[in-house]
Amino acid sequence: MPIARNAAACAASIMALTISVTASAADFDWKKFQGKTVTFLANNNPVSQAILGYKDEFEKLTGIKLKVDSYQEQQMRQRLVTVMNAHSDEVDVFMTLPSREGEQFAAAGWYADLSGMLKNAASNYDAGDLSRALLKAANFRGKLTSVPLNIEGPILYYRTDIFQKCSVTPPKTIADVEAAARKIKSCDNGVTPFVSRGLKPAVAYTFSNMLHNIGGTYVSNGKSDLCSAKGKKALETYSGLLRDYGPPGVVNYSFYQISALYRSGRAAMAFESSNELRTMMEGGDRLKDTGLMPFPAGDAGSVPTAIGWGMAVSAFSKQPDAAWYFVQWASSPEIQKKVALQGIAAPRTAVAQDPEFRRWLDEQPVRKEWQAALDVLAAKGSSEVGYPIVANPESREFIGQAVQDLILKQKSVDQACADADKALDGLIAQK
Amino acid sequence: MEIVALSAPAVLFTAGMIAFPLVYTVWLGFHSFTSAGEQRFTGVANYARLVSDWEFWHGLWVTLVLYVLSLALQLVLGIWLAVILFNAKRIHGIVRSLFISPFMMPPVVAGMMWLVILDPSLGAANYLLQSLGLPPSDWLASPTWVIPTIALIDTWQWAPYVALIVLGGLQSLPPSVYEAAQIDGASGFRTFRRITLPLLMPTIVTAMILRSVDLLRFFDIIYITTQGGPGNASNTLNIYGFRVGFEFFNIGYASALMLTLAAIVFGAVLALNRLRHAVAW
Repeated sequence: MPIARNAAACAASIMALTISVTASAADFDWKKFQGKTVTFLANNNPVSQAILGYKDEFEKLTGIKLKVDSYQEQQMRQRLVTVMNAHSDEVDVFMTLPSREGEQFAAAGWYADLSGMLKNAASNYDAGDLSRALLKAANFRGKLTSVPLNIEGPILYYRTDIFQKCSVTPPKTIADVEAAARKIKSCDNGVTPFVSRGLKPAVAYTFSNMLHNIGGTYVSNGKSDLCSAKGKKALETYSGLLRDYGPPGVVNYSFYQISALYRSGRAAMAFESSNELRTMMEGGDRLKDTGLMPFPAGDAGSVPTAIGWGMAVSAFSKQPDAAWYFVQWASSPEIQKKVALQGIAAPRTAVAQDPEFRRWLDEQPVRKEWQAALDVLAAKGSSEVGYPIVANPESREFIGQAVQDLILKQKSVDQACADADKALDGLIAQK
Repeated sequence: MEIVALSAPAVLFTAGMIAFPLVYTVWLGFHSFTSAGEQRFTGVANYARLVSDWEFWHGLWVTLVLYVLSLALQLVLGIWLAVILFNAKRIHGIVRSLFISPFMMPPVVAGMMWLVILDPSLGAANYLLQSLGLPPSDWLASPTWVIPTIALIDTWQWAPYVALIVLGGLQSLPPSVYEAAQIDGASGFRTFRRITLPLLMPTIVTAMILRSVDLLRFFDIIYITTQGGPGNASNTLNIYGFRVGFEFFNIGYASALMLTLAAIVFGAVLALNRLRHAVAW
C-alpha cells in the first residue's frame, strides 16, 4: 500500500547512505566517462537556469557533453511521459517533483535507484548535509529516486507599513491572520487584505500547509479525511480567507497573479512560494516594506510545506553512471552555493551557513527573513502536497474543487467535502 | 508509370504520417495503463466509461456552447467587417492590415494579454467599466461569464480571419447582378439580404468549416487563461482529454476521449460540407 510507507526502513536507508558516503574514496575520477553524451530533460525554471549557467564547468570537469532538452514544466512532463512510456533511452537525467509525481513515477519504474550511486560519490560531496526531509520525500519503497536541488515552500509575505498603519502585529496563529485581514479590510479599502492560490490545480500547494497546521490529514484509515472536523475547518478557513479578504477573481489566482498583485502594492498579505521572492521584489518597491515568515501556527502547531525539485536518472538510461555524474555535480556543495547566491534556496545546511552566502543575505533585510523562514521549512517541513497516492496530481484537482466550491458559495462545506471525499476514495482505491 | 514511381515515396510517407498516429491512438483507446506502466487490452471499456462519465458530458456541453456562441459572433462580426472593408474604398492598406492583425498573433501571447486586461483587480477592463460608472466584473473568474468572455476573446482574434475570407468572396461576386438590382430600384439592405448573402453563402460555409474545426478543438486560450475553471465551468472536451492524458497519465481513456472529439469534428465538417454543396451556385 503506497500510503503506508515504512518510515523506519526509509530513515534507516537514509542513515546508511549518509554513513557510507562519508567513507567513500577521496580520489574521485571525474574523467571516467570522458567523451560520452548525457541528455538532460529540464524544466525551464529558475533552478535549472541557475545550474545550467555553469554547464561549461561540468563539461570541462568531466569531459562529458551535456545535451539539454528544456521545456516549460507541463511540456516537460508531456515529453517525459512520451519517452518513458516508450521505455526509450533518449533521456538520461530529468527533473522531477517527488511530492507531485514521485509515487506515480516510482510505481511505473521510471526512476533508477540512486542509493548505490550516492555511495560512490566524491568524498567532498557530503550527502549527509542534504535535507533529510527532502531525501525522505524522494525515497519510495526503499529506493532513492532523486536528489534534491532546492528547497521551497509557501511562506507569508506581509506589508510592514500597512500593518503599522492599521495597528496590526505580525500574526502568530491562523486566527491572528483572520483578525489581521479583518482589521486591514476596515482600515484600508485600497488593498487586498489576504491573497493565496485559488486556481483549482494550484490550491493544494498552499492549502496543505493550512490543513497540516490545523491538525488535519488527507488520509485516515485508508479513506479520504477531508470531512473530518479538522479537514472541514481547514477548508472553511482557507476558502473563507480568500472569499472574504481575497481579490475578486481569486479562483483563477496562481503564483503569477499573486506576485503581480503583491508587487504592485495591492495586497497586505500574500501566502505564496518562497521561490517568488525575486518576482515579488522586482522593481524594488517592496524591498523596504516586506516582512516574511512561515505560515502562522494552527491547533497542531507549525507544519510548513517544504518541497524541492529533484534530479533523477532514468531507469531506461543506457549510461546511468555517467548520468549520475551530472546529478552529483549539480547537487554538489560547490554548485549549490553558486546557485544559492542567485536566490535559489539550497537543500544543504552548509550552504545556508556559508560566510559568502550570509554576506549575500545581509545585503537586504528581506533576504535574511526569507532564509529564516526557509530554515524553519527545512527543519519542520512536510512534503505532503495533496494525497500521498499514485494519482497525486489528480487528487489535487478534487482538493481545489472543494475549495473553489466554497469560495464561490456553490456548496456547503459538508457537501463540498463529501463530494471530494467520494472522488478521492475512488483514487485511493486505484492500484 | 514513371510519375507514379517518382511520387510514390512522398505519397507513402504522407499517408504513413496521417495513418500512424491515428491507428496508434485507436490502439491506445482499447487499452488501459496501470500506474506500474503495464498495459492491458480492455476492449471498449474506455468508451463505455465515457457514457457514465459526468465530466465527459459536461465537457461536451461546454464545447458545444462555446462553439455555437463563438461561431455566431465571428460570422456576424466577420461579415460586417468584410462589408465595411469592401465598401470603404478609402481605407489605407495599413489600416486594413491592422484590422485583420489579431489572428496573426500567437494564441499564447493573445491569452496572456487578455489575462492581464481582464484581471479583476489590476486589469484595464474593470478600470474602464468603473470609469464609466459601471460595476466591475470577475470576467474569467466568474462561472457564469467565463464562457461568454472566452467566446469574446476568440471572436476578437478570429472574426478578422472570417472577414478576410468573406472579403475575398465579396470581391468575386458578379457586378452585373448588382447593376440589375440598382436598375430595379432595390434598397441597400434588400440588395444585401436578397443578393449578397445568398451569393456569399458558399464562402460563408467555407469560413464556418474552417472555424468549426478550430472551435471544436478549442484549447490554447482556455488553457492559458482558466485551465478549465473556475470549477469546471470552461472545461471543454479537449482540455479534459489533455488533463486526463498528460496530467493524470491515463493515456488509454484520454485516447478514447480524443477519438470521440475527432469523430464529432469529422461529423461537423461532413455536415457543413453537405451544406456547402447545397448552397453552391
